[in-house]
Amino acid sequence: MNGAVNTLELTGVTVARGAGPVIRDVSLTVPAGTVTALVGPNGAGKTSLLEALSGVIPVTSGSVTVGGTPITKLSRVARARLGLVHIEQGRAIFPGLTVVENLRLTAREPADIEGALEMFPELDKRRDSPAELLSGGEQQMVVLARAFVSRPAFLLIDEMSLGLAPVVFMRLLPMVRRFAEQGVGILLVEQFTHLALGLAREALVVSSGRVTYQGQAKELLNAPELLHAAYLGGADAPRQ
Amino acid sequence: MLQGALAGLAAGGLYAVLGVCLTLMSRLVRVVNFAQAATGMFGTYVAVWLVSDAGLPIWPAVAVGVVIGGSISALIGIIIGTWLPEADTGSRSAVTVAVLLFLISLSFILFGNRPQPFRPVLSGPAFQVSGVVISQVAIFTVVVAVLVALSAHVVLTKTSVGIRLRALSERPTTAELVGIPARTLSVAVWATTGAVGTLVVAIVAPTQSNDATALSMLVVPAAAAALLGGFRRLDLAVVGGLVLGVLQGAAAQLSQLSVARHFLPFLFIVGLLVWSQRKEVWDAAR
Ligand SMILES: Nc1ncnc2c1ncn2[C@@H]1O[C@H](COP(=O)(O)OP(=O)(O)OP(=O)(O)O)[C@@H](O)[C@H]1O
Ligand SMILES: [Mg+2]
Repeated sequence: MNGAVNTLELTGVTVARGAGPVIRDVSLTVPAGTVTALVGPNGAGKTSLLEALSGVIPVTSGSVTVGGTPITKLSRVARARLGLVHIEQGRAIFPGLTVVENLRLTAREPADIEGALEMFPELDKRRDSPAELLSGGEQQMVVLARAFVSRPAFLLIDEMSLGLAPVVFMRLLPMVRRFAEQGVGILLVEQFTHLALGLAREALVVSSGRVTYQGQAKELLNAPELLHAAYLGGADAPRQ
Repeated sequence: MLQGALAGLAAGGLYAVLGVCLTLMSRLVRVVNFAQAATGMFGTYVAVWLVSDAGLPIWPAVAVGVVIGGSISALIGIIIGTWLPEADTGSRSAVTVAVLLFLISLSFILFGNRPQPFRPVLSGPAFQVSGVVISQVAIFTVVVAVLVALSAHVVLTKTSVGIRLRALSERPTTAELVGIPARTLSVAVWATTGAVGTLVVAIVAPTQSNDATALSMLVVPAAAAALLGGFRRLDLAVVGGLVLGVLQGAAAQLSQLSVARHFLPFLFIVGLLVWSQRKEVWDAAR
């Protein structure tokens, strides 16, 4: 893997939605094998940014490249083929498909499906049940396993913890680290700010559509007042 | 009466195949395709013209008609996929009403409004059981209806294309995000249902009617058949089509009922709607 080329790079990205821009001027580099945390209050524009990266909605201005290839003009399918995988907010399972069928949709190799089911024994037990009959945590495991078997280059993860009991979420979180260890670049949106910052190298705080902090995740973790100010959209919060 | 009922099997098989096509389209591409039978009619008219005016043998002519029916259908799919990709089922279906009217007018313009000189593709009795004749056409359409429903079921549950199609019908956006080529697959569904619909219309039409409007309106009994399966279940769509055909055939035998047979699909639809809403009515009444 070529470190310099193998990055997800955003330059001056602005995303508009209905009335106007919901997030503006985001510049960011996600290198392979690292986690970048994106945190901020509700309605800050985190989901909108991820949706623009994966092609659910268009990027209004700015550029995005994956491994050097500009992607803002590409279709959703073409972006997926470049290895950009979006784990959507909520549980993006295909409810009528069984667990194995959900995985078959993205598996590069049939053997990968067995590997993924080994990581989640509870899924292995229910491999032929429709995904809609699984518990919330199990459904989120299906989504993670589906991402895993697609062998992604970059992962956009949107609030994996939503609606899950903390114990369940704590079981899923190590998967994120595991993805990173295997060289996947991850942009992690998470309400559990401290857990996200604990995994991340770089961190961004967005508030009301603007980046109010960008820098080392560790720094933010060690300075709660900095995080607090950034959440409130503090204009004087430092920008890297 | 039994003879009449069995004579209705050919029509029933036709309703069943078209009902299965309507069900597949409603499930997989979110459209109630009002132009389903009209597409078949148009492909069939082309085939008839190729035989009568261009002197082609019947089977190659039917093959060309089937390709044309599939292409027209694919074209509607491309149009809807391009301009109404995220629209609701109602707006998408409205496009097919326009296509229905367009195809009827186009066939009048191209082929005139006199009924076409159909030569039956299949004719004659297949066999006879205690004095009751079962025609080849009846056997053919019933077999095709069952085969189409079965193969659609197998494709949807066992093949990777089928799994992709189901994923696409459940969550179109997420499906694209996991790399499923939505446009291509949808157009393939349109083309396939268009081709299958044309094939059965070409083979059964000569025994039914040879009028463009009447053939296009076969979509009504087909919709009644699909409704029995709630536009979801393929097996019930087949049953619905066959039952409707047999009932119509039996009614045609009784002189008092022979006019009523034309209203049967309508009564069938109303009856099913009332039946399917019975719980709601009960709840609302409380
Ligand atoms: N479909 C939509 N159409 C128009 N505006 C929208 C739409 N979805 C979201 N918005 C607006 O865009 C802004 C950003 O929303 P977004 O969902 O990106 O925020 P978020 O940071 O993900 O919030 P949360 O933490 O609650 O998930 C909000 O002001 C929201 O009202
Ligand atoms: Mg969000």
